[in-house]
Amino acid sequence: MATSARASDLQLPPALQLQSERIQGLARAAGLDFEKLDFRLLDAHDVNGVAAYGGFPTRYPSWRFGMEFERLEKTRQYGLSRIYELVINTEPVVAYLVKTNSHLEQKLVIAHVCGHADFFKHNSWFASTDRGMLDRMGWHSNLVRQAMDREGQDTVESFLDTALSLETLIDPYLPLRRRLGADVRNASNPPTFDVLGFLATHAPLPQWKRELLEMVRSEAYYFQPQRMTKIMNEGWASFWHARLLTGGVLSDSEIVDFADCHSGATADSPGRVNPYKLGIELFRSAFEQGLDIFRLRRIHNDASLIDLLVDAEFVERQKLFLYGTNAKTGRTEVVERDPARVKARLIQDLSWGGLPQIELVSVGESPTRMLELRHHHDGRDLELDAAKATLLCVERLWGAPVRLATREGGEARNLIARHGEATVEDAVE
Amino acid sequence: MLRIEADRARFREIVRGRIRADLKRYLSTSELFARRGDRAVSVPIPQIELPRLRFGDNHKSGVGQGAGERGDSVDASDGEPGSGSAGEGSAEHALEVEVELDELAAMLGRELELPFIQPRGRHSILCEGGRYDHIRSRGPDSLRHTRRTFKEALIRTVASGQWDPKNPKVVPLREDYRFRANRPRPMPHSSAVIIHMMDVSGSMGREQKEIVRIQAFWIDTWLRSQYDQIEVMYIVHDAAAKIVDRESFFHLRESGGTKISSAYELCLAQIQTRYRPEDWNIYAFHYSDGDNWSARDTERCMTLLRDELIPRVNQFCYGQVKSAYGSGQFKKDLDESLAGEDRLVTAAVNDRSDISEAIRAFLGKGR
Repeated sequence: MATSARASDLQLPPALQLQSERIQGLARAAGLDFEKLDFRLLDAHDVNGVAAYGGFPTRYPSWRFGMEFERLEKTRQYGLSRIYELVINTEPVVAYLVKTNSHLEQKLVIAHVCGHADFFKHNSWFASTDRGMLDRMGWHSNLVRQAMDREGQDTVESFLDTALSLETLIDPYLPLRRRLGADVRNASNPPTFDVLGFLATHAPLPQWKRELLEMVRSEAYYFQPQRMTKIMNEGWASFWHARLLTGGVLSDSEIVDFADCHSGATADSPGRVNPYKLGIELFRSAFEQGLDIFRLRRIHNDASLIDLLVDAEFVERQKLFLYGTNAKTGRTEVVERDPARVKARLIQDLSWGGLPQIELVSVGESPTRMLELRHHHDGRDLELDAAKATLLCVERLWGAPVRLATREGGEARNLIARHGEATVEDAVE
Repeated sequence: MLRIEADRARFREIVRGRIRADLKRYLSTSELFARRGDRAVSVPIPQIELPRLRFGDNHKSGVGQGAGERGDSVDASDGEPGSGSAGEGSAEHALEVEVELDELAAMLGRELELPFIQPRGRHSILCEGGRYDHIRSRGPDSLRHTRRTFKEALIRTVASGQWDPKNPKVVPLREDYRFRANRPRPMPHSSAVIIHMMDVSGSMGREQKEIVRIQAFWIDTWLRSQYDQIEVMYIVHDAAAKIVDRESFFHLRESGGTKISSAYELCLAQIQTRYRPEDWNIYAFHYSDGDNWSARDTERCMTLLRDELIPRVNQFCYGQVKSAYGSGQFKKDLDESLAGEDRLVTAAVNDRSDISEAIRAFLGKGR
């Protein structure tokens, strides 16, 4: 642990311990199945510290985590938002609770954590994640520190920044394909979506850079399922905390506070979808229709679950709408409520982890060795400035020019990074 | 949470580097000014972002949830949900980073190559603290000096004839104990007063005041870093002068004529009654658009400056801010009739980009 607190300080006080056992018993009786839960009690400041590291206090040093911490601390101090709980997909499942939560909130959060833990264990997207990630993160941290000792902090830091710019260039379906027995030996050779994997194997890099790149890749694959199941995961946990708590855990006097706390977390927030709200409604709707929700939580991700469950009635009942920018006023406003289009947009926003689909098509012949990337354009343009800067990062790693074929405003475009300069060219289709 | 603090420190270091590189820009904006606390300024910086391949957001659109008719705005409530773990869509938040005023002053000093001021230090006060380079026979155990204690014990043992070379045992007694101690030492102590005078007559507009305000902020910041103790006094004047608090100094808008001598007289009176030049380093700044009421009053100002004010102050600075009505005579008059005075500095500020030059002129002499 990175905190200086003694282990005994982190444990739940006896009253909560008792509640925790009771809630876990109820959860298991209701059909949830999860590994041992390891609750740790921290104050809000320390929880922010853990959250800044993505949940892993053993993580490697980087200014980015410091920045995230700074942001979390500011929003906490200004009272804009607070973290109630933080659950890590490891074995045992580590869950950080915040000391300042009220007794009721702690009960709610413990029930919520049971839902997450069950989800981690049973959702197929999580099946191939490394449950020993806490140790692996510590090992990564050593890797970075050793590299820093040898190469200097600035050198390592700037390489890491370059590598992290590419952490989205992975194939979210690769772990699942591997698990289902597909032949993935050539999965990182072109054509492939695992651009990071290709670079880690084939880019002309010294050993330490290769190791760090491989590290960035493995962490990216570890976090990817959480991106793809955010709505389901939160929905599942919220569905169960509501059921468990109203099913006997709460005393009568706590019901109103519970409702307040619960509705705060699952409130509408116009302008974007609250994953807690949408998720819980999806599972409720499935439950009412008599579907096997345990099976749903096992085989789906956000996009596929929405595809299955969202229909005209759901869109109407949940008051989902499409918003867009009014060209005249510059305001963001409600555009329409047509169920089919709302659903299509929702799925589009969630598929591929909400990221553009970038494929490594081919590698050019020596001596140019031009790396050919392709953006599978689905109507949404790339942010071109960011794309240019990212391509330069790819070029820096690959050591040769890089070309990305994409579209802008309906026109085909090539982005080219060569000799540290990025340009945009019209492309012939 | 020691490790996250190390990362936070690293982040702040990077941010400071950015502020330093961008100081020229901060020098001409009022961004920092409004965020000043007692010891630190919170500097707004855009969140540093790693480039990523992502979708453009020039046409903001997506799926939302809630009531509302076609055409209703959804901008208003962009609130975060009540709970959740580390969020992702956080890129647009600007960050605020606290920078100590001393550090900001150091950055300013480096950027404008300002010399350190040699205060006309008159006081030396005894200061507690200092280094622990002294020994005494009383003190807390945490400060016990083992070697010296044993040495004392050994001396006592030998002197009292108890020393037995075959059984060289030395047991310190209470009286042998020695402790590290600090010695109070004299430290030079200097104090300074800054007197800001501003013309608030009708011709000084909002932009002119803003320029004055930015300048005053940086001047304060620098001088504060140079003195242990600093007081700031604000005087505004049109046809008559009065002392005001900081808030009004920057926001007051008077109208009417301009009699610069009124401010100088008030300033002189304050120096005579409150800030004796023997005890204080005095800095007087006057900002105006340079239009004075009459040539006679200008004449009066010159006399006041030459005979009374300038001999008493470390430096008298006059900044002429160009207003919508153009620039007045006053700077020219000053430069001509008080040409030989090296404690007088004048500067013309046409717009915000001249601010850093003016600051350099005012503070560049190290006086």
